[in-house]
Amino acid sequence: MMNVLVWLAAILFILMVLIGGKKGVRSFLSLFLNIGVLFVAIFFMTNPENSPIIITFIACTLISWISLFYINEKNSKTITAFISTMITIVILLLFIVIVTEKSKIQGFGEESTEEISMFSLYIGVNFAQIGASVIIMSTIGAILDVAISIASSMHEIYHHNPIISRKKLFTSGLNIGKDILGTDTNTLFFAFFGGYLGLLIWFKDLSYSIGDIVNSKVFSTEIITIFCAGIGIALIIPITASVNAYYLVKTREK
Amino acid sequence: MYDIFKKRYKQVSIYILIALCFILSVFFVHNNESFYDRPIAEVVKTVLEDKTALTDMYDHSDHLFTQRITAILKNGEEKGQLIHLTNEYSSSGAIDQEYHVGDKLFISINTSPVKNTDLSGTIIDVKRDQFVLMIAWIFIFALVIVGKRQGLFSLISLIVNTLLLSFALDLYVKHSNINLLFICGVCVFLFTVISLLLINGFNEKTYAAIVATLIGTFISLFISYFVMWLTSENGLRYEEMQFLTRPYRLVFMAGLLIGSLGAVMDVTITMSSSIFALYEQDNNISVKALKTSGLDIGKDIMGTITSILFFVYICGSIPMLILYLKNSYALGQTLSINLSLELARALSGGIGVVLTIPISLYTSIFFINRKRAK
Repeated sequence: MMNVLVWLAAILFILMVLIGGKKGVRSFLSLFLNIGVLFVAIFFMTNPENSPIIITFIACTLISWISLFYINEKNSKTITAFISTMITIVILLLFIVIVTEKSKIQGFGEESTEEISMFSLYIGVNFAQIGASVIIMSTIGAILDVAISIASSMHEIYHHNPIISRKKLFTSGLNIGKDILGTDTNTLFFAFFGGYLGLLIWFKDLSYSIGDIVNSKVFSTEIITIFCAGIGIALIIPITASVNAYYLVKTREK
Repeated sequence: MYDIFKKRYKQVSIYILIALCFILSVFFVHNNESFYDRPIAEVVKTVLEDKTALTDMYDHSDHLFTQRITAILKNGEEKGQLIHLTNEYSSSGAIDQEYHVGDKLFISINTSPVKNTDLSGTIIDVKRDQFVLMIAWIFIFALVIVGKRQGLFSLISLIVNTLLLSFALDLYVKHSNINLLFICGVCVFLFTVISLLLINGFNEKTYAAIVATLIGTFISLFISYFVMWLTSENGLRYEEMQFLTRPYRLVFMAGLLIGSLGAVMDVTITMSSSIFALYEQDNNISVKALKTSGLDIGKDIMGTITSILFFVYICGSIPMLILYLKNSYALGQTLSINLSLELARALSGGIGVVLTIPISLYTSIFFINRKRAK
């Protein structure tokens, strides 16, 4: 098999094993389990009877479960991260459904019409809700990352300094969160712009004005996704910090 | 006392400035129709005229609606006049949607043969700028409220990076003889320095992160490039790349470079800030303890940061995947057509992320040792 994807996947696997050991193997497998969950979710979404929002919520729960408990085992770190993730997902999902309804960013933009002209577009599924699913699923990785990073660091800090007060613990959680906030929004920002570099050059080549770009469906979908992801990341920081501070101090008191 | 007061004063004035920007920009974007060349109309009345059930060639049932819309023109010579529009939409809404009173639409006005009759026109697109702006502000507030100073700085870094990228692409579009990969390489260097300095300030942990990010990003690009060369790009379906006006391979490689940069920075900053936090808690901590703790943190974040990339890249294709599947494409074919490039991006980014863990661990320890030696 001389396939680029196979090679890249093999290299990724070897690196993960070398650096992460057993946990590396599990991280690699969980990537594929997560993609599996995603594909099953997509498959269920093709049936118009199912609500994409509910499928998304179930998929997010499964993905969080796999990423947290399968890679890291079930312990206080991952349980607090899981609880914080679920709280954030629910709040964010409500917000995003409203956003996609209002801004009408579902489906495909006019830039894609040529490509999809040979398809039947009247397929009965609810593209508005699918649009909301896309946004929340794009964000789930980042939300999980923040949750586990904060939980993990707060446990480390607590481990090195067991007499720390709850308020101080919460503040140090927030401080770690502030560091991650910037970089995680950066991660998403660069990932999107890397993925849509072609589109950006297209806008420049066809001399779209700023007004044309901002109002076009393709661009506004992307930028709204980045913003919603950023909002999700900001939201989960105080949630995770307080859940962890509460939990760690509570268990010490016992 | 005076200093505290001064700081407060500065803080308050920043908040007032932000609030003022918010109010002004929202007001502007709701009344900016005259800045557009294209005619804009606001929907004032909608009547549902017709509803038909529809079955396509694959037996999917859908509904087709016809909506008669009266709208008022908001700009141009005919400003203030009523215009009649017709909108056809389906309940699935792949490329169409229902309109409600208050929606603002870009339209084209049909030239009417008879004077003094009501105008008629065609809908082109929705005016979305007010929503984009609103969500941008919610994002800004979330960032500043949670991140305070750091939130503000990461916001500035996002804006500066966007402008930088836009400028770099302008340069590329105007002077096509410059290699896109070279431009993006320079951009990556600037992005890294600007973002990390703005997010983390001038200190050792930032320097450690910058060094590790640059090493990690370029090594991972090199590995991907090597694999692509080795396999003569077998399995990559460039023909399905959307929105292309330029040589596809170059655009793809440049995207690879920029796409993984953020994730690599994420690793280096998480690693270095955790390792430095441990050092600050206990100045006498041994290098061995730092290595163990650092590697533990690295193992924790490895899977999640890689999956950020996987989700971002794959989820964007969900609507297209559903469209292919519903148009009777086989699963394997659908996936290979739509996901080969996305998966390559995600995998290559993942390689960068994992490689960067030891790199940033050792650079952080190097900088801590240097600090100790002083």
